[in-house]
Parts: sequence; C-alpha cells; structure tokens
Amino acid sequence: MSGAPLLAVTDLTVDYHTRAGEVRAVDGVSFTVETGQALGLVGESGCGKSSLALALLRLLPESAQIRQGQVLLEGVDLLALSANDMRAYRWNRIAMVFQSAMNALDPVYRVGDQIIEALEQHPSAVSQDPAERVRELYDLVNLNHNSIDRYPHEYSGGMKQRAIIAMALACRPDLIIADEPTTALDVIVQDRILRELGNIRRELNMSMLYVSHDMAVIAEVSDVVAVMYAGKIVEYGDAAAVFKRPIHPYTRALMSSFPSVTGEKHDLATLSGEPPNPLDLPSGCHFHPRCPFATDVCKEQAPPTVRRGTQWADCWNPPGDEADG
Amino acid sequence: MAAYLLKRTVQILLTLFAFICIVFFLVNAQPGDISNVYALNPELPPDAKQRMQEQFGLNQPLWQQFLVYVKNVLTGSFGLSFSHYPRSVADVIGERLPRTVALFFTATVFSFYMGFVLGKIIAWKRGGWTEYATTLGGVTLYTVFTPWFALMMIWLFAFKAGWFPIGKFLDPVLWRDAPLNANTLFNRMMLTVFVVSVIVFAIFLVTTRRRVAGARYIQIGSLAAAAAVTVGIWWSTDVGHLAWDLIEHMILPVLTLTIISFAGTMLLTRNSMLETMREDFVLAARAKGLPEKAVRDRHVARNALLPVVTSLVFSLAFAVDGSVIIESVFSWPGMGQTLVSAALAEDLPLAVGAFVFVGIFVLLAHLAVDVLYVYLDPRIRY
Ligand SMILES: Nc1ncnc2c1ncn2[C@@H]1O[C@H](COP(=O)(O)OP(=O)(O)OP(=O)(O)O)[C@@H](O)[C@H]1O
Ligand SMILES: [Mg+2]
Repeated sequence: MSGAPLLAVTDLTVDYHTRAGEVRAVDGVSFTVETGQALGLVGESGCGKSSLALALLRLLPESAQIRQGQVLLEGVDLLALSANDMRAYRWNRIAMVFQSAMNALDPVYRVGDQIIEALEQHPSAVSQDPAERVRELYDLVNLNHNSIDRYPHEYSGGMKQRAIIAMALACRPDLIIADEPTTALDVIVQDRILRELGNIRRELNMSMLYVSHDMAVIAEVSDVVAVMYAGKIVEYGDAAAVFKRPIHPYTRALMSSFPSVTGEKHDLATLSGEPPNPLDLPSGCHFHPRCPFATDVCKEQAPPTVRRGTQWADCWNPPGDEADG
Repeated sequence: MAAYLLKRTVQILLTLFAFICIVFFLVNAQPGDISNVYALNPELPPDAKQRMQEQFGLNQPLWQQFLVYVKNVLTGSFGLSFSHYPRSVADVIGERLPRTVALFFTATVFSFYMGFVLGKIIAWKRGGWTEYATTLGGVTLYTVFTPWFALMMIWLFAFKAGWFPIGKFLDPVLWRDAPLNANTLFNRMMLTVFVVSVIVFAIFLVTTRRRVAGARYIQIGSLAAAAAVTVGIWWSTDVGHLAWDLIEHMILPVLTLTIISFAGTMLLTRNSMLETMREDFVLAARAKGLPEKAVRDRHVARNALLPVVTSLVFSLAFAVDGSVIIESVFSWPGMGQTLVSAALAEDLPLAVGAFVFVGIFVLLAHLAVDVLYVYLDPRIRY
C-alpha cells in the first residue's frame, strides 16, 4: 500500500442550514482510502456518517453546504468539478449502497432495467452488452436470472439488498460507499451478505467505505477503522490495532457495547448518556460529559493527538501502555 | 389483470344498479306526478299516451313501476321524449352523448397534460417568481366563476377578435347542402381519432417495452405521420370543410374548460413531486450519475403521476357539472344542455334517460382510469 491513495479527504466540513441555526454535521474530517482497502467508519446515530458519505459524491440535500475541504480521487478534486463532470464520476468511479437500500429501487421499473439504466449512463465503463452484464452481476451476487425482469415489490428484503449490491458493482467502480446497507435485514441474512460483499470486493480489488454504528459489523469488514464522534474522527488506525488496543475512551465504550465472540458482554465502561446536541456542543473534548476518565482540562481545551504507530486518537487521558494487556 | 378487471367491472355494475335505483326514487319523490304530465299534455295524441302508460306501467303500484323501470333501463328503452316528440329518448341521447364525450375528453386530456407538465416544472424549480406567478394564476383561474369566465372568453375571442364562431355546434349556412348529416360526420370524426390514437398508443407501448433503439424518434415520427395522414385524408374528402366547421366550434369551449381546470392537476402534481423527491430511489438515481432531467422525468415525475391519475376519477364528477354550465353558455347541444332543458320542460323520460346515460358514462370512464392505473403501477395485485 504505497504510492498515492485512491481517495484522500482533507479537512472536510459540512454544515446544515436549519431553522434553529447552523448544524456542523462533519467537522474537519481527513482520511485516506488505498486501492483495495476497506475503511470502516463507525459512530453513534447522528454523528455525521451519512453526511460524510453523501458529501463525497456531492449528493447532500440543498440545505447542506460543504464549507471547506478537498475530496481527491486519484488526484482530482471532486469538490471543484462542474456538475456535469461530477456526473461522470458518480457510479462509474464511486458507487453507493444506501442506508435504506429497501427503498433505493424505483418501484415502477423492473430491477434489471434499473441496472441497465446505470450501465447506459456510463457506456465506457463496461464494454459488454448491458443485458449480458446484468446476468453476470446476478451470478456474482447469487441471484436467480429469472428475477431480472421482476419488479422491486416482487423481491424479498435480502434479494433487494443483493440487487442493490449488483447495481453498485455494475460499472466496476474503484470505490463503493456502503452506508449501513444491512440494517433492515435479519442477522443471518445480514451476515451472509456482508461476507459475500467482502469476498467480491477482495476479488475485484475494489476499495470500500463501510459505514455502520455497529462495531461487530465494522470488525468483520474493515482493514482500517475510523471512529466518529460529533462530526469529528476521534480515533483512526488499522483494524487489528484498534480492536486490540483502542486508545479513545469512546472507542472502548463502543467496543464494550457489543457481545464478544463468546457471547458474554463486557460490562466495563458501557456507554452512558446521550450523543451531544449538535447545536450546542460541549466545550473542549466533545466527549467529556460522557467520559469516565474526564478531567478539568478535557472541559476546557480540545484534546491533542496521541499516536501509536499508524494508529492515532484525540484524547487528553489515553490509557498508559502498561495498562494494556 | 383479467381477474382484477372482472372484479372492478362487477363492482361498477353494482354501483350502476344502485345509481339507477336512486334516479328512480328521486324522480318519484319529487312533487308532480309523471302520469299527470302525460295525461294533461295536449300535444300528445291519445294513442301515444296509451303506449306510454303501458310502457311505464303508470297504472300499476309503485313497486311494479319500479320493476318495469328496471326492465326498461336494462333493455335501453326509455320511451319517447316528450319535448322532442316523436323522437325516442335513446335517439336523442345517441345524438348528444358523443358530443359531450368528445368535448370533455379533449378538455380533460389537455388540462391534465398541461397541469402535469407545469406542476412538474414548478416543483423542480422551487422558489422564484415563476412558481409564484404560475400558482397564483392557476388558482385564480381554478376558482373563477365559470359562467362569467366562459362569457368573457366568447366576448374576447369570438366577438371582439372574431377568431372563433360564437357558440353553437355548427354553422347552418355551411351545412345547407351538406351531403351528410352533422352527427354522422361527427361520429366518423370521433371514430377516426379513436382508431388513430389506438395505433399511435400501440407504437408507443411496443417501442418502450421492447427498448427499441431510437424509440423517441420513432414515437415522435409516428405521431407526426399519423396526424399528417389523418388531416390529409380528411382534407381530400368533400366533407373536409364541414369537419373543420365542427372543430372550429369546439375550440373555444375546450380552451375554456382547459384553462379553468388545469390548476387542480398542476397543484396536485407539484405536491406529489415534492413528496416523491424525498424518496431514496431519487437519491439513487442521482448517485447513478443521471442528468437532472432524467431524474425528474424518468423517476420523480413517473412516480408522482400515480396519485394524480387517481384524482382523475374525481375530476369526472367535475366534468358532469361543468358540462351543464359550459354547454349552456356556449349553446353546445350536448348532454348537459339536454339535462337542463329536459328538467325545465318536465320531459321525464328524457331526464331519466339522460341521468342514467351520464351515470353509465362516468362509471365507464372510472373503469378506464382503473385500467390506466393498473398499467402504470406494477404494484397493483391482479
Ligand atoms: N437534511 C438535514 N437537515 C438538517 N440537519 C440534518 C440533515 N441531515 C442530517 N442532519 C443533522 O446532521 C447530523 C448528522 O446526521 P447524519 O445523518 O449524517 O448522521 P448519521 O451518523 O448518518 O446517523 P444515522 O446512524 O442515524 O444514520 C445530525 O445531527 C442530523 O441531525
Ligand atoms: Mg446515516
């Protein structure tokens, strides 16, 4: 993993204009994604994960504004492109699997035709005949060919999810953004689809940005993990390192709130309290009101970055090295 | 599909029966007795009175009269019109119903199309004075007092500008030596339009469904060709100028109806579009890199169309009372005018016949909208 990264996001900041005031949903976020790498973005509901994902494709609603930052895809700043040039990047280079994948298919068109629509929009992406490509994609995601000409309402939840993934893969994008794509499915189907998505991605050497609030899912799919709290990335590092020795108390709390492989729950430092009100963020470290290790300095000043190899976190009181097992 | 349509047809037949019963009881509940009208009418010869009495069972008790009435309705024999004596009710209606159907069908198609396109545009370009002006203008026209507006249209475009004839169905001078009668010609014109529409619609359907290359050009081309051929053939016949005379008399009423009714569809389309724009599949369509126009037309408008088509059913009721006003103001001898004059002349057989036929027509139109909806929304379970 050397050379220029596929995607480099620097200092990305997104505000929503609401009646109550400006809401900063994404606050100076920077990260990179290498070719073939899966970055897991994890955080509680409302911390700005979807806003970040949509900002990359410039698909935010009109009430949102990207205040500053850069989104470089192989050196091209997507935020500086004209609307027309941007359309050529959508789906062709960066495809998306949406949070509510259940409603991401248009109910009045056949599913196969909706995939063909994407292929016809980017004719240079795939040289095959579109109908042939759809059959190939259906094989890839384990869907039966005879459902190609069916309508979305004739699909089960799991089938829709597979179709959505097939659609995202259609133009062989470099990066797939998956925003909690499996939340509406039952655990068994969710697990199987996740594993398949991971396999396909590795086979095709595609990069992925996987967004979830669920640490267990993130642990399963990602090579690198970014933990987000109140619009900021608070911890970042190789998945193995972060899961072995988390630095930030928030990461530790998130990890303790999912059952371990043996099924028992770690009870230490369970996450208490509510996520902060984005209109009235706590001073200093935004996490301090919920942090069991908070000291006076946490309330007053933004925390410094603590590094441990490639892993880093923003915290005043990182656990001492001797405390880790 | 067949099962669904069968179910709807049965429902509609039941509704029709209920409607027929209501018409009977309304007619019998009103002051004045049908038998008196006939008995005291000096214009009716005695043998005609006798025939009518038998036909309507006037000397029998009410429940038997009801049975006779139902039998008459089912066999389509409404007897002789009293104000058009000796023509039969069926004959009068057969002459006038097609005119009203033509007038309102044309106006409905125009106003629906116009309302839908405008609604689509103002929903997409929110804010700004275009939306404001269109909405204000549309609502003003929608709520304007119809008879006054119709008279203003006549005054402006027929009287002052002289672009259109002032009311009526045809120009009698032109028709003095006409080789055929106006109704025959009118029915032939309607038949032509119907056949041509079916052919063009079939071409649209096949090219869209089969994903034929260049479907758009084939469709526009076939539409233009069909229009050119139809006009050409009619022009070359010796009744072309007469057909044009009928069309000329239709333009102003159709225009008036379109202008006063498009705003309903427009506002409904606008709201439906705004609702649909929030759906995830619209975001997905954008994420696919589709141009804004394709997102708007192919995804948002196509889905927003569904509730708007449902509302067509309600506008059918509007068409019935609209026909009474518009036909009276434009002296257009259709069903609306027939209903009013039959009621004023106490021509009960004609009034009953007109009611029943208007009812049948509205219910058939309802069925047609249902079929259209099934075609548009794949989620309907057949
Ligand atoms: N359209 C909007 N208008 C105003 N504020 C918004 C809008 N969408 C999101 N927000 C605000 O931005 C913040 C981040 O929202 P976002 O949807 O990105 O969070 P998320 O991490 O994806 O949450 P979830 O896990 O629930 O999907 C929240 O505080 C939310 O209230
Ligand atoms: Mg989200």
